Amino acid sequence: MNPLAVTVAGVAFPSPLVLASGVMGLSASSLKRVADAGAGAVTTKSCGLEERKGHPCPSILPFEHGLLNAVGLANPGVEEMAREIAEFQARSPIPVIASIFGRTEAEFGEAAARLLALVRPALLEINVSCPNVSSEFGQPFAADAAACARITSLVKARADGVPVAVKLSLMCPSIAQTAKACAAAGADAITAINSVGPGMLIDPHVRRPILANQVGGLSGGAILPLAVRAVWEIARAVPLPIIGTGGVTRPEDALQLILAGATAVGIGTGIYTCGLEVFGRINAFLTDWLAREGLRSLDALRGAAHHPPPAEARHG
Amino acid sequence: MADVMQTVPILEVIAHQAGLKTLVLPRILDAAPGQFVTIWVPGVDEKPFAVSGDDLETIQITVKAVGPFTRRLLECRPGERIGLRGPFGRGFTLMPDSLLIGGGIGNAPLRLLAQRLTERGLRYTWLVGARRAADLPFLSDLQRHPAVRLFTDDGSVGRPGSVMAGWTDALTASPTPPRLVCGAGPEPMLLAVREAARLHRLPVELSFERYMKCGIGLCGQCCLDGSGLRLCVEGPILTEEQMQSVTEWGLPHRGPSGRRPAATPPASRP
Repeated sequence: MNPLAVTVAGVAFPSPLVLASGVMGLSASSLKRVADAGAGAVTTKSCGLEERKGHPCPSILPFEHGLLNAVGLANPGVEEMAREIAEFQARSPIPVIASIFGRTEAEFGEAAARLLALVRPALLEINVSCPNVSSEFGQPFAADAAACARITSLVKARADGVPVAVKLSLMCPSIAQTAKACAAAGADAITAINSVGPGMLIDPHVRRPILANQVGGLSGGAILPLAVRAVWEIARAVPLPIIGTGGVTRPEDALQLILAGATAVGIGTGIYTCGLEVFGRINAFLTDWLAREGLRSLDALRGAAHHPPPAEARHG
Repeated sequence: MADVMQTVPILEVIAHQAGLKTLVLPRILDAAPGQFVTIWVPGVDEKPFAVSGDDLETIQITVKAVGPFTRRLLECRPGERIGLRGPFGRGFTLMPDSLLIGGGIGNAPLRLLAQRLTERGLRYTWLVGARRAADLPFLSDLQRHPAVRLFTDDGSVGRPGSVMAGWTDALTASPTPPRLVCGAGPEPMLLAVREAARLHRLPVELSFERYMKCGIGLCGQCCLDGSGLRLCVEGPILTEEQMQSVTEWGLPHRGPSGRRPAATPPASRP
């Protein structure tokens, strides 16, 4: 019995560690490499109805305390992504989460339908929270709980039974209230959080923002406390499994998200700071931790930082 | 952190032939031969470039006009500030008795490799190929260089014909086979070098290019089909073993969206 196995919306992950969307997620071979490194599930780059080249560079910008990114939803389009997903599924038993986005609410439903006509991912993840396309798309849908609920319903109606996770942003009045609205609209899981901000860095010599898009989402170790707090609040608000994402680099970071109530833990920027070995290292740490605590699974740790514990049934 | 963007003034611009210049920049970073840096032209874009030479205080980037970005970069004048980050990826192994094979602008990273080998007193032969003399930066230096053999398709300088023709001569002229073959240039040339090296059972390290966004192994744009090698981190110099793990040789490269264009069918003849 694999002590790290978890279940997210009925889908079995052999490890709680999930490749977060936007990182190494454009091709089957890239996803396979991350799966082989120890991820329990992998998420594709978000794809939409049409091919997009994304923003010019610099679009990913490391600085001393993290990373700013404004890739701008570069993607080959849903049909092309469906081919990559199908190839991945033929090459790996690890569940694949297909991330989709839309410029309008209706486009989310259409993207789901067009993707599912070609391939059946283990989960769909609705990216309502990309922080770096607002000049083009307007404010992220994640800022509006009612919009998130409508999009959840639209995608659920076209999902053909594939469970749906909604990826939320901290940039909203209350992430717990947004999660509640999505849950009421039929969401099967919540992914939280997306990169935060957006932020900006200026080069003092040329007196310009460095990112071509001027602003971009902040990720990396500095946002871990924000992710832990968000997962904590969501866990108290909804009885849904949570893919806790944001700032995980050390094994203890993953454990914190689980103790806050996450069923699974997303890793993105951690691949930059720690290398692909980050998956294997955290898996080994969690296995040792469970053995030392005399536990057979992560179930007893999930949400264990809450006193009293949040509502039950967090991993159906 | 070398990955952090820093802007530096261009110290000097060396004009070679039309559409070919070398930018001399302050040495804020140390690149090994074959590693790359990124250059940001504020308000325009950021792209990867090989380092073509250095001294104690400067590094050199040799740029060929191939598109809007490089054309804009070549308009930059001394004193203008551009962004510089890196170095990224893994470079060539410094090996005595190396055989360097370069095609066109691919000779730029080999120039830094030749410089390092010379500095360390390691012997090498450098086969420099190009379509024509006008495609070669530092041509007069190359013509005087004792380890260089020049080849141009049109015979405008050096021996007429492909640099691959120099391969057999280089092998037969030397009493001992090269201990490492290092190549940079257009991909069809590199694949021919790979084949020839396999035939002669020689170790190779070849420098490949793909569209890149981040240079730090995150964006996935330069992941090669097959093993998913990230060219910006595990490359851009690949060994035979790494090349064997890749299945996309000969296919069109993925573009900025991640989509791989359909292979163009062979031109039909009327």
